[in-house]
Amino acid sequence: MQTITIKPKKEMKISVEAENICPDKFAGKTEKEIQSLEAWVGNQKTTLGELFSIIVEGSAPAADTKILMEGDFSRVKRIGEGMTCGLVIINGNVDMHLGNKMSGGNISVKGNVDSWAGREMKGGELIIEGNAGYYLGSGYRGETCGMRGGKITLLGNALDFVGEHMCGGEIIVKGNTGILPGLSNNGGKIVIEGNTSRPGSEMSKGTIIINGIVDEMMPVFKFEGNEDLDGVTYKKYTGDVISNGKGLLYVK
Amino acid sequence: MTVITDALCPFCGCLCDDLTIVVDDNKITDVKQACKLGTAKIMGHHRIKEPMMRKDKNSEFTEVSYEEAINEAARILSNSKRPLLYGWASAVCEVHKKGILLAEELGAIIDNTATVCHAPSTLAVHEKGLPTATLGQIKNRADVIVFWGSNPVHAHPRHMGRYSVFSKGLFTEKGRKGRKVIVVDVRKTETANMADEFVQVQQGSDYLVVSALRAILSGHADVVPDTVGGVPKEQLIKIVEVLKTAKFVGIFFGMGLTQSESRYKNIDNAISLTFELNSFTKCAITPMRGHYNVTGFGQVCSWETGFATAVDFARNAPYYNPGETAANDVLLRKETDAAMIIAGDAGAHFPADSVRHLAKIPVVQIDPYWNPTTEVSNVVIPVAICGVEVEGTAYRMDGVSMRMRKMIEPTHPPDTQILERITQRVRELRGE
Amino acid sequence: MELIIKNGAVYDPVNGINGDKTDISVRSGKIVDKVSANATVIDAGGRLVMAGGVDAHSHIAGAKVNVGRIMRPEDTRSGIKPRTKITRPCTGYTVPNVYAMGYRYAQMGYTTVFEAAQAIMKARHTHEELEEIPIIDKGALTLFGSNWPTMDFVREKDMDKLAAYVAWGLLASRGFGVKCVNPGGGEMWGFGKNVSGLDDVVPNFDVTPREIIVSLMKANEMLGLPHSVHLHCNNLGKPGNYKTTLASMELANQVKASKDRQVLHVTHLTFNSWGGTNWGDFESKADEVANYLNNNDNVTGDMGQLVWGSATTMTADGPVQYANAKLLHAKWGNGDVELEDASGVVPIYYVKQISVHAIMWAIGLELALLTKDPYKMLLTTDHPNGGPFVNYPEVIALLMSNKKRQEEIKTLHEAVHARTKIPGIERELDFSEIAIMTRAGTAKVLGLLDTKGHLGAGADADISIYDIKPDQIDPSVEHAKIKSAFSSAAYVIKGGQVVVKDGQITATPPGRTYWVDASVPGQHTSEMMKDIVKKFKNYYSMQLANYMVQDEYVTHAQVVKAGAIPVEVS
Repeated sequence: MQTITIKPKKEMKISVEAENICPDKFAGKTEKEIQSLEAWVGNQKTTLGELFSIIVEGSAPAADTKILMEGDFSRVKRIGEGMTCGLVIINGNVDMHLGNKMSGGNISVKGNVDSWAGREMKGGELIIEGNAGYYLGSGYRGETCGMRGGKITLLGNALDFVGEHMCGGEIIVKGNTGILPGLSNNGGKIVIEGNTSRPGSEMSKGTIIINGIVDEMMPVFKFEGNEDLDGVTYKKYTGDVISNGKGLLYVK
Repeated sequence: MTVITDALCPFCGCLCDDLTIVVDDNKITDVKQACKLGTAKIMGHHRIKEPMMRKDKNSEFTEVSYEEAINEAARILSNSKRPLLYGWASAVCEVHKKGILLAEELGAIIDNTATVCHAPSTLAVHEKGLPTATLGQIKNRADVIVFWGSNPVHAHPRHMGRYSVFSKGLFTEKGRKGRKVIVVDVRKTETANMADEFVQVQQGSDYLVVSALRAILSGHADVVPDTVGGVPKEQLIKIVEVLKTAKFVGIFFGMGLTQSESRYKNIDNAISLTFELNSFTKCAITPMRGHYNVTGFGQVCSWETGFATAVDFARNAPYYNPGETAANDVLLRKETDAAMIIAGDAGAHFPADSVRHLAKIPVVQIDPYWNPTTEVSNVVIPVAICGVEVEGTAYRMDGVSMRMRKMIEPTHPPDTQILERITQRVRELRGE
Repeated sequence: MELIIKNGAVYDPVNGINGDKTDISVRSGKIVDKVSANATVIDAGGRLVMAGGVDAHSHIAGAKVNVGRIMRPEDTRSGIKPRTKITRPCTGYTVPNVYAMGYRYAQMGYTTVFEAAQAIMKARHTHEELEEIPIIDKGALTLFGSNWPTMDFVREKDMDKLAAYVAWGLLASRGFGVKCVNPGGGEMWGFGKNVSGLDDVVPNFDVTPREIIVSLMKANEMLGLPHSVHLHCNNLGKPGNYKTTLASMELANQVKASKDRQVLHVTHLTFNSWGGTNWGDFESKADEVANYLNNNDNVTGDMGQLVWGSATTMTADGPVQYANAKLLHAKWGNGDVELEDASGVVPIYYVKQISVHAIMWAIGLELALLTKDPYKMLLTTDHPNGGPFVNYPEVIALLMSNKKRQEEIKTLHEAVHARTKIPGIERELDFSEIAIMTRAGTAKVLGLLDTKGHLGAGADADISIYDIKPDQIDPSVEHAKIKSAFSSAAYVIKGGQVVVKDGQITATPPGRTYWVDASVPGQHTSEMMKDIVKKFKNYYSMQLANYMVQDEYVTHAQVVKAGAIPVEVS
């Protein structure tokens, strides 16, 4: 096992682009090597070592690499980008694009995450104990597929567009979400324990389950009657009818 | 006395190109054919006379030389780690090219005024495409015109006469009489007053209404509830019938659609409606762009960088993600540590918190006019007025480009020259 | 400034040089017979030397290309390269930014590229982009096939006015030649409809595509334009369209060429050589099209080769693009231009296991391999319709190696066996034939063979050196090496200046823009202009005074003069 402990050295105003904070990039590297990895603050190229105190214990391949982040990372973007394995534990808040394109491993955040967490995620698991911004588990602008696989669990609330363009995988939100969750869902599963509005617009496949209140329903779903899921009775809808949708929307 | 014919109007996205300008002793004495808004812009107002600087934002400006102002602008920008170059919509494309080069060299974010009006339309285009047509196509063919969240009577006064409602063309020789006009809005606007059909939508419900129209069009009226967003189902069915039996439908949308709840998803949905209508009739959708060359910035930025706006050059290569890289994204997060505002008025149109942040950081303004942005600036560089004193390219709301004429000799240098000099000075400061 | 390239294995088919060690001398941007002893020497060391590549059909600039960019940020992000001291940042794959357009062509050894379609009304935009594309020479073909004046003059059978309109339209758009896309269909798309063949009558204008094509060919030859009419056939994108293609080609027999070149160039034949009646029985008819070309000397074509992966289809053929968007459930750009034409932009992803795509891949190669004379079948991918131009080296490798083709065929949908002839075609093109399809032939088809596409004295000093020793390579076996060498030239010289060395950009001079200034009798122009003035007064949404592209948009113009000559109609 290799454990890398990262703490911010100073308060960050301008977001740091830190896609190098990733088990795949750290694995087998010495403290010095990790400290000298590139990071960007605005238009200034710098190193992880300039911005963070980094302590490395042990040495191991990526699968056995654990990154432990202590402190406020609310201005640190792209943590865990493209990770294929290993573990990232963040005891604090993080900025945008956490776990972009990750295909394996596990990221766990004690605090809040900003927008685009789990963007274009292919696999692995993302657990967020706080709140999330916009576009949780979504895609990049213009792409037809957002999240393709893996699992995101959010204990708090999310803003708009949860799981936009999802083509696979699973998102569980324990709190509420903003508008249009599961927009253009093309095969993913979204469970919202709390309240939301306008779910499932343009969905053509996949499943959305809502246990809270739906503020506004899209006028594009066909009511199919009641159905029991795990002992709970839901109103079952299919749609979006315009997309000739085979999507399933369950509302408690 | 000189008379300039077929001059272009540097006001709104209609880019009317049939103006007659009378010039006497390098002063514009008359503007013919233009609307009130255009005339007012061309006749001019509150110009900044000389370059000005001040140390802190509470003190008075002192007049300085162009060289001093340019040197200070370059110093501010080249010291910045997160510079923002914002504005551009009231300048010609030649200015945009120089601005993008400067942004590249500085590692800056460059964004334009669309960020507070039609940038959501661009986000929708990423999702669904851009089924549009030149305005003459509407003039010659459209028998049904829809204004959605737009009020041309007020904001684009000549649009209806030149291009849409009243215009006559090869297949529309009856003009207004041969057309049905549908207005969708949250309140009965001046434009709604002249509509054949007014659809009053509850604030923030446009998205639902578009979806309901699409559901009906696709033969699924059965799933549509009795009222959607405050609109009775019967009216929605009637509208769909009018649309699908038209020969050519022209949809024009404005900020009522781009800036209300669901924002760009409203446009996204409306583009889908346009797409689906083309299985029954012909339909094109066009944003009612505000500034005369806000479209041009999107065009130039796209061919230069690949992205239409909100481009972040921090890492020497373009990165684009509105929500992260647009002007207000970085201002509201207080990341921006210096800004240059050119040919656009952030002071007047940005959210209060963004303006408050601008008041705390060094700001360079390049503009012919004194405006609210001046109040938050440290360095102010007056320039000639594009489209009045400087010729150059502008793109109409439908993407047709034309060359703006020079009407009178400028009293100030053009934006291009100022940007070139700032860029040159930045290179010197960096020892390049 | 003088330059001499020594020890090159030169392939210059125009001048009968077939791999011989020949020195190439350069002075003041031109190739000359000899230079002084002071000339800078580039030792090619036995490597392959060809004239700079010439592309006769590619969508590199203008409204629809930019619509492609605006629609596709996901494409833009896929080709990002930061700025350097010499180069601006590059972005995109199928729709690169202007800088990437110039650099990437140059890196492959291409020095001249023609944009395949611009509407006159949007030509200013095309030129704004062309101006910003570095290094390469360029030009743009102007759309005439659905313009109201064209159709009016065709109906009135007034060839003088038509020729005058074409000449004026080329001036107004600073265009190089006459492009005709789905003639008549652009007008019909104005009301959401299309023509279905050469003899459909276009409503309100009372002309047929057949009449439009023939009349434009006649006008083209009356004007003695360097290039012939450049036709995108009716019915493109529909199974069975090869019949329309062959019938369109036959129309060339009605007109005699004014120059030593074809009377009709039929473009991106991969999309026009389709048999079958639907997607189920879809098959290749490339053999029939190639056979026609083999038996006729007045028509040329280009491949429009399909390349696997992402592409962005863009064309003035508006109706086909709506059909595509529906079929693919893809985002849709549409850009009708009043009184002139239509256009559409739709992303696509070509997949080896989709039968139609596999057959289309084969069609392009069949066309190139079954057409005997490479001067008649140019290498294109109809960038970015069949795929981006950066894949030309892949296409070259496929044409030079049956082994590569057979390896590829093994990975494709089985339909490629039953419904194309590609598995049984053994022909492998040599360097000379490749030089024709990418240089000599394209230059000849464009009418630019005096200065482009060859290495004889008087030609522009546009020269590519590739890291291949022709006498030491078997392209059939070492196709990977062929592909890699053509992807990244060892040297590229543009107008006498080294612009690429070892695949890297070393200089970014501006290229020139070719356009054709064709003269017609003044009386014809004034008669024609009466109609044009009416069109602007009644129908256009802009003023005539603001319509024509101004000099400011063509700052490095290369004007080719042409003029009215009598046309013989056979």
